[in-house]
Amino acid sequence: MRTFGRILGALAGFLLFVGTAGPIAWVVVSSIKPGYMIPASPWSLPTQPAWGNFAKAWGTTGIGSGFVNSLVASLATLAILLPIGAMAAYVLSKYRFRGHGLVFGGFMGGMMFPHLLVIVPLFMLLRDLKGVDTLWGLILVYVAYSLPFTVFVLGGFFDSVPDELIEASMMDGCTHASTFWRVMLPLVKPGLAVVGIFAGIGLWNEYALAKVLLTSQAGFTLPVGLANLTMTQQYEADWGALFAALVIVMAPVILVYALFRDRVQQAMTAGALKG
Amino acid sequence: MRRKGQGPFVLGFLAPAGLLYLVFVLWPLVQSLHLSTFQWSGLSPVKKFVGADNFQRLAADPVFWTSVRNTLILIVVCGVALIAGGVGLGHVVNEETRWARAIRSIYLYPQAVSLVVVAIIWYFLLSPQIGLVNNLLRAVGLGSWERAWLGEPQTALGGVAAAFVWYALGFYSLLFASGLKSLPAEVNEAAELDGSVRLHRFWHVTWPMLWPIKRVAVVYTVVNVVNTFALVIVMTRGGDPDRATETMLTYLYEQGFEVSRFGYATSIAVANFLVVMAISLAVLFWFRRDPTAARA
Amino acid sequence: MRPIPLVLALSSLLIVAGCGPSGSGAPGGKVKVEVQAFQGGYGIDFFQQAGEEYSKLNPNVQVTVAGDPRVWEALRPRLVAGDVPDLMFPGWGMDHWALVNDGALLELDSALDEKAYKSDEPWRSTFRPGLLELCQKDGKTYMLPLYVMIYGWWYDPGVFAKNGWTPPQTWDELLAFGEKCKAKGVAPIAFQGQYPYYMIEGMLLPWACSVGGIEAVNAAQNLEPGAWSSPAMLRAAQMIAELRDKGFFLKGSVAMSHTEAQTQFLNGKAAMVPCGSWLESEMKSTMPPGAQVAFMPVPDVAGGKGDPTALLIGIEPWMVPTAAKHPKQAIEFFRYLTSLDEAKKFVREKGTLMAIVGSDDTDMPPSLEAPARALAGSKTVWSVQYRTWYPAMQEEIEGAITSLLNGQLTPEQFVERCEAAATKTRNDSTVTKYKVAS
Repeated sequence: MRTFGRILGALAGFLLFVGTAGPIAWVVVSSIKPGYMIPASPWSLPTQPAWGNFAKAWGTTGIGSGFVNSLVASLATLAILLPIGAMAAYVLSKYRFRGHGLVFGGFMGGMMFPHLLVIVPLFMLLRDLKGVDTLWGLILVYVAYSLPFTVFVLGGFFDSVPDELIEASMMDGCTHASTFWRVMLPLVKPGLAVVGIFAGIGLWNEYALAKVLLTSQAGFTLPVGLANLTMTQQYEADWGALFAALVIVMAPVILVYALFRDRVQQAMTAGALKG
Repeated sequence: MRRKGQGPFVLGFLAPAGLLYLVFVLWPLVQSLHLSTFQWSGLSPVKKFVGADNFQRLAADPVFWTSVRNTLILIVVCGVALIAGGVGLGHVVNEETRWARAIRSIYLYPQAVSLVVVAIIWYFLLSPQIGLVNNLLRAVGLGSWERAWLGEPQTALGGVAAAFVWYALGFYSLLFASGLKSLPAEVNEAAELDGSVRLHRFWHVTWPMLWPIKRVAVVYTVVNVVNTFALVIVMTRGGDPDRATETMLTYLYEQGFEVSRFGYATSIAVANFLVVMAISLAVLFWFRRDPTAARA
Repeated sequence: MRPIPLVLALSSLLIVAGCGPSGSGAPGGKVKVEVQAFQGGYGIDFFQQAGEEYSKLNPNVQVTVAGDPRVWEALRPRLVAGDVPDLMFPGWGMDHWALVNDGALLELDSALDEKAYKSDEPWRSTFRPGLLELCQKDGKTYMLPLYVMIYGWWYDPGVFAKNGWTPPQTWDELLAFGEKCKAKGVAPIAFQGQYPYYMIEGMLLPWACSVGGIEAVNAAQNLEPGAWSSPAMLRAAQMIAELRDKGFFLKGSVAMSHTEAQTQFLNGKAAMVPCGSWLESEMKSTMPPGAQVAFMPVPDVAGGKGDPTALLIGIEPWMVPTAAKHPKQAIEFFRYLTSLDEAKKFVREKGTLMAIVGSDDTDMPPSLEAPARALAGSKTVWSVQYRTWYPAMQEEIEGAITSLLNGQLTPEQFVERCEAAATKTRNDSTVTKYKVAS
């Protein structure tokens, strides 16, 4: 009985491993196949690697500048988002005041609304602020649209910190603000990591807003460049370059995961307990 | 809790986030909602006020109700699969075997790559002539099971659901794995017991104790099924075949951005908002109390 | 108008001679014309080059051409905000009739009545007959064509020669031919199931035209009661159902994108595929070694009322927004783009037929010669117009034909659904109605 269970477990483990890693490996293998081979025999191995796909992907989509733009947009957004999101989450978690429910509900409502819908008014607003086709405009929008998730997750972390710590800190002569910065914020570091990782990945892959708010090729982020390549291949059917571009987009995320796996999982563990 | 002299502090701490949110999210949102009372192509400044007409049309639009049905099916099917799969896989990855370690090293990758990439991968897996699924079926002599998975109404929605579950399962497993780890040691000692007792123990002790995780998981599912938008757009061109995979968001996209009924599309968005909110509230209400607390 | 180029040429000489301001530091007097173009199978490099050449010929104008494969998405908020390009070619994703209805496009008739670029002929008469009518509402022209696409079926002449096949010309020949294909293990027809209009424009409407004459198709496009469930339309749907039931379609076609279905065809899995004249340029980078494509008219129905030379064509229009800052210069640039020399150059470089009379008289890829002959020899040139007039109705009809191909609908149910969609559109007072120009 126990042995049988163990075999079953190993089998399930094997299938899960192949099921997860297989498709990703397939994208990588396909990226070095000549373009016409991909739809003709998608599951064969390349006879000789077509490294030219990568040169083409890099050249045609401006993936180099896209890479830098995506990196700047994601990191700058996090730099603004984490402090102001934590401040709001803390106040909403630990303080009761008139309009509390309204403010909290307002933030949560933002998670349930398709961003697609606000694109036209948002574009007109940014145009009035002279922020269309600028990175700072995109960053401010990213911060605003990442707030609901941030407040939701960090609020959960603050909820689990006992109120007595605040009382004790205030008793020691700390102000409301210094209690937050000195005592409370360090306690939710795992929460900041969770938000940083998840919001960061989400921003790295964000497409809909960037698509509309960035209008010139030089300003494109990676997903916009990638999607353009996907669209172009509908007219020119260059699958090889498309898959190479997919690899270029996936690689940094996978690298970050591989390098910081333990950190990510620790943070996630904490997040799941308290979120 | 109310505290002495909290007023300026509360205001000051809420202001940066609140202002950004007000300007970039709520204000455009209100403008959008306002648009749902107009007949507007979304292509020019020309608009015509029509009051509640868009909502009356919506109530009488069979395609809209198809899209509501498909959205609910995705939420329920993906929710059940993700929670069941997440609990099961959560047990597996908590083990210290070779496969568990191997899975731990990769199971978050699908979540990390872009949904566009996920959609392209699954599109190829399910493709009729060249797809891996059909080729495997042929290879093992089940050629008669072969079909155009994403082109037939019976299987297309299932294909989208499978891609979404593949995308999100790692995250849910991690969620449940850490939930399981956090349970008191005596619960985990169940591993020492034999099969039937373990199952009994799981069902009556472990499962109820996982309620906070389940609550988070269900709310995440409801909110994140929104993400199937990118999948449906890429995998079935936003609703093929003949509306079989039409979801509320893809229908919104079609009406607003393809057939130039932007006012009508915003009324779909309002409906989508109400549905998601209603389900989320129902879930929060359902999980409002810790079932194990009563026991203690 | 004529002397202007000479003056411009002189002034550019002055610049070269160093008497004028240097090129890069041009004074503020220069008019900047912004062009946004759809980056489809023909790219935008041709337009960019034309813009540079035109700017050289006209030193007081600077034409910049930009674009992307989803240019209509970027144009939408700009159109709403009134911050528009001067000339645009927004591609198939733009609902351009909604723009016409909203008064967002400039009427171009007075410009068309002027002379064509460096010619004594009126600009209007340099377009092939019938094309400007596709751009008109109530007799006024709001858009202009540049290239023309010819719809039909395609086969690989190498494969046909090897098997001793000839392209079927009639429905009966098609039925017999299909059995021969199947005997060789080749599917007679592949189709682009994800884009059901290939089947509407490659089978349904051509066959309805062949059975009931062009009048039957016009009546359907004009939303006349009963036209979508007419005997001709029903017969066309029955023909599609017959091919379906005989297993003449490549298995899985219903789930295929256009590139997949066409790849299967090029790899010899299917003998024929319905498509437009852009097929070769679309597939050139995935074409397996040795594959060729050749055009054939859609097999017609013997004894039908239709003209056997009837030919379905399409255009992708260019337009000038009402809110453009430099509409006049934009129109002049497009006049340059439609000159006979530029049109012939486009044929040579991009391999498509053009909207300009006489542009066929140049080197073109061999696969274009048959469509060019068909166009020259056709007595009934028509276009599917309802699709862009009534996009919501088109969604419904595309869904219905998918279900017909999937075996979920009988031909009778199919035409009923189409008729219901047409009735709904006809009775919807919020939908602007159009008529086929006769």
